[in-house]
Amino acid sequence: MLAKRLPFAALCAVLTLVMGLPILGLNLTPQGIHIVLKSAPSATFMWIALGAAVVFLFQLFKDYLSGFWRQVPLPKASSFTPNLEGRKRIYAERAGWFLVAVLAFAMPFFASRGATALGNLVLIYVILGLGLNIVVGLAGLLDLGYVAFYAVGAYSYALLHQYFGFGFWEALPISAILAATFGFVLGFPVLRLRGDYLAIVTLGFGEIIRIVINNMTWLTGGPNGIGGIPNPTLFNMEFGRIVKDPGDTLFYKVLGIEYNSNHKVIFLYLITLVFALFTVFVIKRLTKMPVGRAWEALREDEIACRSLGLSRTGIKLSAFTLGAFFAGFAGCVFAAKQSFISPDSFNLYESVIVLVIVVLGGMGSQVGIILAAAILTMLPELARDMAQYRMLFFGLLMVLMMIWRPQGLIPMKRTPVELARE
Amino acid sequence: MHEQMLYFLQQLLNGLTVGSAYALIAIGYTMVYGIIGMINFAHGEIYMIGAYIALITITGLATLNITFLPVVLVIALVLAMIVSSAFGWSMERVAYRPLRGGNRLNPLISAIGVSYFLKNYVLLAQGSRDIGFPLLIKGSWTFGDPNGFEANFSYMQLTIFIVTIVCMVALTLFISKSRLGRACRAVAQDLKMANLLGIDTHKIIAATFVIGSALAAVAGMLLGMYYGSIDPEFGFIAGLKAFTAAVLGGIGSIPGAMLGGIVLGVAESFTSAYLSTDYKDVVSFLLLILILLFRPSGLLGKPEVEKI
Amino acid sequence: MKGKYGKLIAGLAASVVLAGAATTASAEDTIKIGIAGPMTGPVAQYGDMQFTGTRMAIKQINAHGGVMGKKLVAVEEDDACDPKQAVNVANDLVNKGVKFVVGHLCSSSTQPASDVYADEGVVMITPASTNPTITQRGYDNIFRTIGLDSMQGPIAANFIADKIKPKRVAVVQDKQQYGEGIASAVKKTLEKDGVNVVMYEGINAGQKDFSSLITKLKQAKVDFVYYGGYHPELGLILRQAKEKGLKAHFMGPEGVGNKDINTIAGDAAEGMYVTLPPSFDTLPKNAGLVKAFKAAKEDPTGPFVMTSYAAVQLIAEGIEKAKSTDPVKVAKVLHAGTFDTAIGDVSFNKEGDLKKFNFVVYKWHSDGTKTRVE
Repeated sequence: MLAKRLPFAALCAVLTLVMGLPILGLNLTPQGIHIVLKSAPSATFMWIALGAAVVFLFQLFKDYLSGFWRQVPLPKASSFTPNLEGRKRIYAERAGWFLVAVLAFAMPFFASRGATALGNLVLIYVILGLGLNIVVGLAGLLDLGYVAFYAVGAYSYALLHQYFGFGFWEALPISAILAATFGFVLGFPVLRLRGDYLAIVTLGFGEIIRIVINNMTWLTGGPNGIGGIPNPTLFNMEFGRIVKDPGDTLFYKVLGIEYNSNHKVIFLYLITLVFALFTVFVIKRLTKMPVGRAWEALREDEIACRSLGLSRTGIKLSAFTLGAFFAGFAGCVFAAKQSFISPDSFNLYESVIVLVIVVLGGMGSQVGIILAAAILTMLPELARDMAQYRMLFFGLLMVLMMIWRPQGLIPMKRTPVELARE
Repeated sequence: MHEQMLYFLQQLLNGLTVGSAYALIAIGYTMVYGIIGMINFAHGEIYMIGAYIALITITGLATLNITFLPVVLVIALVLAMIVSSAFGWSMERVAYRPLRGGNRLNPLISAIGVSYFLKNYVLLAQGSRDIGFPLLIKGSWTFGDPNGFEANFSYMQLTIFIVTIVCMVALTLFISKSRLGRACRAVAQDLKMANLLGIDTHKIIAATFVIGSALAAVAGMLLGMYYGSIDPEFGFIAGLKAFTAAVLGGIGSIPGAMLGGIVLGVAESFTSAYLSTDYKDVVSFLLLILILLFRPSGLLGKPEVEKI
Repeated sequence: MKGKYGKLIAGLAASVVLAGAATTASAEDTIKIGIAGPMTGPVAQYGDMQFTGTRMAIKQINAHGGVMGKKLVAVEEDDACDPKQAVNVANDLVNKGVKFVVGHLCSSSTQPASDVYADEGVVMITPASTNPTITQRGYDNIFRTIGLDSMQGPIAANFIADKIKPKRVAVVQDKQQYGEGIASAVKKTLEKDGVNVVMYEGINAGQKDFSSLITKLKQAKVDFVYYGGYHPELGLILRQAKEKGLKAHFMGPEGVGNKDINTIAGDAAEGMYVTLPPSFDTLPKNAGLVKAFKAAKEDPTGPFVMTSYAAVQLIAEGIEKAKSTDPVKVAKVLHAGTFDTAIGDVSFNKEGDLKKFNFVVYKWHSDGTKTRVE
């Protein structure tokens, strides 16, 4: 009966007041040389009271509400997909990807500069998400320090340019391989660790790399970062207003058209799009190869894996290395896009965002991750006015996602392979 | 020669002070992990909230012209503990309990979400600037030659030692002697069995969060006053360090958390004293990684036997 | 749309439409001025000064008919004194079609942002960044209405050498562009003046525990500390130093000259030396302006209020003189002429720095006031 829940509901309401009143209601403000308490506007107190009332009522009527809730059917992802089998499915998938690729290529020519730049950022996070997907989604290894490889890729390019004058195309493979090497090296110590310990160690590595970069001011510029990183060139044609690297020509001069700074943005976007499609393709192929299947086997049951003779070392190392490879890739592209990097771009928050993209999208699911990357990158931009509350909602979103839909937006579906009948 | 000794002693004192505060926060991490096997990422924010509440209380009492020191300190401490515990309890109830028993990754992500939520909640409410925390316990003892190097042991440092020792002793007695403490130990050993034997595991888990949060609040008030300023960001770093301490000492072991905190504080102090102040933070993570590689169960933990 | 990819396509399309709608073309009868500075973060107090000065300038210029008949509109953005966010802000302002920017505040933000502005030909005037490298890269559209650390450093160092004559000096910095720049400038001049610099240490911004640093300073028997950085950290150092019995005098650049240092350091802030821009609010010709600030309940005494006001004035006068809103033309005009602003007569040299600017040494008091030291 209602009366039974009354004391508990009252307790919850009181707790809401305790949590809200001091922090929201009494603001510490400097006044001259002292700190004083200023009470918040009365609207705040009303909100707190309202919140407490809502909590009270919710707890009181919880049983009725949850019963009601259970009757509301949640839309399932499968209801969006047409029911195709075998061959038709493969063709439909290919057609879908082709359509998406065409639209993506066409977008920058119709959209505004800001939208193109945003699309570019989305694509970078897509690459990151797909890379981390290998480690977390497919292989089931919880990596909280993924941003370290991202940083290695970005700083490789920046340092190679600053000290050796490398251009984008020369530095790209080096960044990716260097990041992959770090991934390989990091893989060794964590071979024996499982679950939470793995998460902690990778988190530690991520932070160590950031702190070391931050402290080595003589090499990396420390907290001031490295600037002046050139954008990618097209056959030695630069897209800027003035030539930065001697020996390059200028795009608009070569084509004989007027300078438009949008060219740079569009070119960057197209390059990143090519890389993103490359990443999707490569990883898709990998999941169908023995390596990919081994990752998923590891995730499902490590002990069974070992008893079947699969080398746990090999699987883990390959997952880490390949994941790091793509992170390095993305890092190099990021450095070229921003023209400036600092250790603060590679903090734990970035690792978390990429992790949330993977989990939100559905671990292992490529389509889901692309969608999640798009949503998570575009949301703060679209909600610029609410920028202050962005992080608040982000945290809330993470909690709610975990409670309501932990399998992600578009959970991975493995296409069954049918054996031909005898 | 004598001066070198004093310098060493001073840095040791510095390290122990901070280390014991880390230990208080680390206890929260270790208790939660020991019982439900989850890393509560949001614990650092509870520490930060404790510091803010303490400051708000002290400022409020000053406005009401209540300045008698012991009263102010006790009231601030109690209120900080109450509010932090409220946050801890609600956090467990809302964000972690629904996820218990499922995939290990989900509560972790939920914890990260709670951490961001709490940090930004305080940031939006109180502003992002550093806010000065008045030093209410002034004065110190000095040893050594006023013309040479003088080692300094402040009353504030003494207070931190005393309070942390009292808390640790109280907690140890509670865990070993009281009924609730016994139940906590039982649930930590085997949750399912404890449930079968009639222990209300929900209540015990909630109690664990409450105790951990209260201790973190104490640390928040102590360190806030010791350092001199608070801001919404400082909970995260402290949380990470305390977590390192908990793992160092053996996650799941309360004496381990205490030891880990002290070891970490002293290690940091000596690194900045004898090596370079720059790499103070790197030391904590390096220690963490080394321990996890060579003795994953930590200094005082029991080695985990892998059963096939 | 059916299909798994329907969602994806719809999402892409929606984003394009929304983003396109968000960046609508600017109205023809306004001139946008971007104001980029820290609204949040540890040094937001200085950002306040920047916004106070620019808002008043825009209000007053608009009240007098605007510029070339058009009204000035402020586009305010927050960079939180973080280089990464500063770059995002710069890109955002460029995407919004802003051609004139007053900002940024922190040298570590201004430097990377200026790369973006230079590439796009946007005129940028910083009212507070003092690091010399900002104007040393050959950009012709970057200006500043404040002095340089290459001037501020020697002024501080010479003061230390001539007036204080300490026996053992330590130089501490927060490893960021501003702090590190001014600290190394001071150290260089101190050594040239023959002062005994025994330590050069770095700390991390955001750090709270300075006990090991202070113990080290005590052991080295330091009696004077020059700190390069901002007030949150120096406030803590001052307080913890007093607690631990470090008997030394402290000095810092204008980044520490803020009343908030008293809320953190309390009595320990008494006797701190600081180099600040001259108090433009005490100039007789600014009396009316000071009254306008006070009437709006704003504080005109902050070091960056008048410099920000002057920056907006310069943009306005530059546009008028060039008779065009093309930033390239305005930049040329700014390099060529002399302008009358709230910080006096302003003319720029080839790099975009003020031809003359004096920093003054003040002694800070525990009640937040300061007295000039000769």
